[in-house]
Amino acid sequence: MKIQTKVKNLNNYKIYLQVEKAVNEFMETNNYLKVDLPVLSPALIPESYLEVFETEFKYFNNKQKLYLTPSPELFLKRLLVAGIGNCYYLGRSFRNSEPNSDWHSPEFMMLEFYKVGVNYLQIADEILKMLKYVDNKLKSPASAKASHSAFQATRDKSEGKQKLKFNKWEKFSVAQAFSKFAGVKKEELFDEKLFIKKAKEKGYKINNASYEDLFSQILASEIEPKLGRNGYPTLLYDYPRQLASLAKLSKDEKTAERCEFYINGLEVGGFCTELNNYKEQMRRFSQESGKRKKNKLINHTIDKGFIKALKYGLPFCTGAGIGFERLVMIFANMTSIDQLKLINIY
Amino acid sequence: MRVNAGNLKKGEFIFFQGEICQVQKADFYSPGKGSALMKARLKNLISAKNVEYAYKSNEQVEVLDVTSVDMQYIYKDKENLHFMDERTFNQSSLPISVVGGISRFFKEGEKMFVYMYNDKPLTIRPPMSVRLKIIEAEDAAKGDTVSGAKKPVKVETGATVMVPIFVKVGETISINPETGEYTGRV
Repeated sequence: MKIQTKVKNLNNYKIYLQVEKAVNEFMETNNYLKVDLPVLSPALIPESYLEVFETEFKYFNNKQKLYLTPSPELFLKRLLVAGIGNCYYLGRSFRNSEPNSDWHSPEFMMLEFYKVGVNYLQIADEILKMLKYVDNKLKSPASAKASHSAFQATRDKSEGKQKLKFNKWEKFSVAQAFSKFAGVKKEELFDEKLFIKKAKEKGYKINNASYEDLFSQILASEIEPKLGRNGYPTLLYDYPRQLASLAKLSKDEKTAERCEFYINGLEVGGFCTELNNYKEQMRRFSQESGKRKKNKLINHTIDKGFIKALKYGLPFCTGAGIGFERLVMIFANMTSIDQLKLINIY
Repeated sequence: MRVNAGNLKKGEFIFFQGEICQVQKADFYSPGKGSALMKARLKNLISAKNVEYAYKSNEQVEVLDVTSVDMQYIYKDKENLHFMDERTFNQSSLPISVVGGISRFFKEGEKMFVYMYNDKPLTIRPPMSVRLKIIEAEDAAKGDTVSGAKKPVKVETGATVMVPIFVKVGETISINPETGEYTGRV
């Protein structure tokens, strides 16, 4: 990797700053507390498919392993347990073994926020409100002037494309989307054996592939490219329980209360009703750690304090994570994260 | 040569569902759950259609060993572009739909590289830049001093390009044929 200076991106970077400003304003107006958080942590939440950056703190003979945080979740949930209420973080997160691409960077800006007392579908409305707020702010004459008309210029370029509106979601449950776009029936989606059989019929390689692998492969190949392309962002909701992450399961326990949203075929963010049952959380932790070992990922210290906090009691809440650069890419009509940076490590 | 799909690169040729495709775009993608993916946009070199496919990043993919042959672009008809190998005088043709929009910047008589696989032409290797003369342009309007202002001009192949307002008829400009963008005067 090399250090690249990209002053030609100055106008794009100014749009980035405007989106950042608009998001901060929206959060403040809606009573979310902005929280600054460490990016180095001695322990992490185990996630089976996510590699981390490992470093070491040294002082004479004392040494301690530290990890760059792949998400601010472990800190924010502690604060929620302590009663901080609605809060958000807009800052760096780090994911190793994820090379640079048009919409990926190992170091990226994460917008993560939590709202107490609402479920995943209720926070969808809040996100839509935020998207609309940012869109309006960027359209205002003052904002166009501030960015030396860069925004207007990118808007002009996008003329001819269908204009994006943020006054409603296009909604599909995961089951509806698999049936509509990939021809996978509901009963096949929720039965691992039938699903793997269907994937094989479709020509996917099933050797050493888990249900989660094939789910993601079909979703990325056949479904995602078609989402968020009808003039509205698309909401995909109710993921099979195997894809629950830290989401609460729905009553029938077949699906998790989890959503992702897409614009122009690109996943921009996700949110879920947060799991607040510590026993279930412990069970998922041990399952994920086992998978980490199997996948030969860095054996980091597990954040047991997180479980302790959950035991104390996480309020009923929903958390959302949004790839901030991806969000800016949409408003600035850019095709790559790279176009937003003044200094790029590539 | 077999490679991990995670190392697939734009421009490479592979077999997909039994047909030769060229990788148009390949982006790493981590869905969070399930193994990492390489999201590829593949152009089928027979139907000229694009297809999206997400490989598991550790999946093995056979990248085809293609050669590139220096040829002269001789002419085009309604559907095809025709090339000639100057050493053997062998002629090859490629559908315009396969070569894509860049062909609007090709000037008859120009040399370019054609990718071949088992003696069959696949597509062309896009030149980094092409030089073309401007044949039609409006004069810049007086008082139009906004920096970065652009106007459309017609180049000798008939294509339209946006150029800075100071560029005039008769001048030769360089263009990036893949993006269609003006890159300078020559």
